[in-house]
Amino acid sequence: MIYFYDGTKEAFLTALALSFHDGEPFLTSGNKQLVLGQESVFVRTDVERAKKIEARLLSFDKDCMGDLDTILRSGEPNKDNIALAYFRLIAEKKRPVRMMLSEDAALAADECMRRVGFEIHRFHGFVRFLATASGALYAPVSPDNDICDLLVPHFRARMPKIPFVIHDVKRKKAAVYDGENTFLAPLGEAEVVLAADEMQWQNLWKKYYNSVNIPSRERLKQMRGYMPVRYWKFMPEKQRPDDGEEDQGAPSPPSKRRK
Amino acid sequence: MCYNGGMIDEKTLTILTESAKYDVSCSSSGSGRKNEGGIGNGYASGCCHSFTPDGRCISLLKILLSNDCIYNCKYCLNRRDNDIPRATATADDICGLVMDFYKRNYIEGLFLSSAVHISPNFTMEQLYLVVKKLRTEYNFHGYIHVKGIPHADMEIVNKTALFADRMSFNIELPSEQSLKLLAPQKDRESLLIPMSKLQREKEIFKAEKKKGHFLPAGQTTQMIVGASPEKDGMILRLSEGLYRKKGLKRVYYSSYVPVVHDTLLPEVAGGALREHRLYQADWLLRFYGFDAEELLPADGDLSPDYDPKCAWALAHMDLFPVEVNRAPLEMLLRVPGIGARGAQKILNARKYTKLTFEHLKKMRIVLKRARHFITANGKFYGANETAVRGLLAAAETQANAEQLSLFSMNETALSALTGEL
Ligand code: SF4
Repeated sequence: MIYFYDGTKEAFLTALALSFHDGEPFLTSGNKQLVLGQESVFVRTDVERAKKIEARLLSFDKDCMGDLDTILRSGEPNKDNIALAYFRLIAEKKRPVRMMLSEDAALAADECMRRVGFEIHRFHGFVRFLATASGALYAPVSPDNDICDLLVPHFRARMPKIPFVIHDVKRKKAAVYDGENTFLAPLGEAEVVLAADEMQWQNLWKKYYNSVNIPSRERLKQMRGYMPVRYWKFMPEKQRPDDGEEDQGAPSPPSKRRK
Repeated sequence: MCYNGGMIDEKTLTILTESAKYDVSCSSSGSGRKNEGGIGNGYASGCCHSFTPDGRCISLLKILLSNDCIYNCKYCLNRRDNDIPRATATADDICGLVMDFYKRNYIEGLFLSSAVHISPNFTMEQLYLVVKKLRTEYNFHGYIHVKGIPHADMEIVNKTALFADRMSFNIELPSEQSLKLLAPQKDRESLLIPMSKLQREKEIFKAEKKKGHFLPAGQTTQMIVGASPEKDGMILRLSEGLYRKKGLKRVYYSSYVPVVHDTLLPEVAGGALREHRLYQADWLLRFYGFDAEELLPADGDLSPDYDPKCAWALAHMDLFPVEVNRAPLEMLLRVPGIGARGAQKILNARKYTKLTFEHLKKMRIVLKRARHFITANGKFYGANETAVRGLLAAAETQANAEQLSLFSMNETALSALTGEL
């Protein structure tokens, strides 16, 4: 049976309960092409039931809801089933299973969570803020996983007096720190007025980036391994020099770059 | 913002960066400095902000305060006799650059070095003034690594250490003779003694539980390999001593790049492979419980054909295969192909079940090399010893084709690479 749900934690827990005795459940929060004759159901969130299930799962593993949050943030198409199999395993073993890496479900969940965690770590480095005229900082991002709000604590801890916005342009939402509180808001397009000297600083940064490189030791494959091309879009240092200063936001098409 | 720094001009920035770029260390790890108002904090595991086309990580703003040198080290671009553009930045130039780069998240902090400008004491004092200003006037709490200037008074060095997260006196070359020949104004003493003194000073600081910080991320050093004739065996013994006796956090090896011509220097660059092998062996010294003695004789070089762990295992085939369900951690770590993370996965998983090769494969333990050295639930899937040598050497050639270079890698990125040695 195919279970459609809305991607929220409560709906997931409801689906977990609904599908518990299903030998071959397939859970999805995205679009799935139905094959003729396949049975499907749309899971309607049952808050009471979800609460009960959550309490029961927590009694097996007090940290498992954190895992659920992490897995549901994954950009992997199959994340819903990874979560489902993982929580079915917890329910079956009635104990934490995250170390049971010889179990497929535990291993898949571990790898999925690891990828989310790794991207958060990478983004602590790869996020690029633009200084705006108001003094606030603005960073457009486009991560694989739904993590923009998880990036806030890191920057908040180091710049507690500067308000900033981390804008996930793909998911059309933004994590905002207003100098005191953090919140998440839907945001399609942002209108940003840059600080007068923003482009000069970006230019200095590009100069630095180009000067610190040792051309005789070129290893482009390595560079791309550590810093995948899909992340370059918002990095000033990876924009082609001839883009000029007006065209900062433009992604540099990887195909045009020298191999 | 609470500062009014100007903006360094492009040309000065370019000159001082070009002059600093051959320095290999760039790591920002090891400091958990907290934000105390103002901007910045430490990120204990280190953080890469960008990668340059040479595959290196940019973590810190790596720059010289001045490249105008009175010394004449033969291998160095900034040597007195070399005809290159010279520049000297002001403290505010550097501070402004750090603050504005930091808040845009371009960098994790500053790695400030300098040529010996005017005199060692003058230079050290200038470096001190920059970091003091950055900490006290600009209120910066991010990472700062400062180069120690040989022959400078310890008093200036010590007060600098109160503001820096890490300091490094560079060993430069692996032996006293080479130093004499290639860096005539420096000597071993002027490099090693400050290291010991800083180490002692830090212990006193800790013992007296003084407020503030004293090099929370410790000391590092760096040496050039391939400019002088020292063998790997000698180099690794030197590193081992620096780790175990001087308490250094990292030794960086920088493969010699000919940037100036001199009859005393080789015309060709030292290979990236040698540098890579040294880093692998260094890693074994620090995290895998190996001694230099076990890895190679003092007058020997590391094998270009096998990584140092593999070479060691091949010389100790009598200890293998080991059973993954029983072998202690120390032994698992010595299996070629099983790294720290792999060993940990095995320890965890074997609590719940008897591990078979199928399990290991599923857990993504790389078995290409490891299978020759382990049994899983009594089963052995390796080849016999002669075949093993052939197979492993072949596997290595492929890896070398990719020419991994680890110079100046951030600790985290490094562990990802060398973790599965
Ligand atoms: S002291 Fe030697 S190594 Fe340092 S900048 Fe001067 S010439 Fe170069």
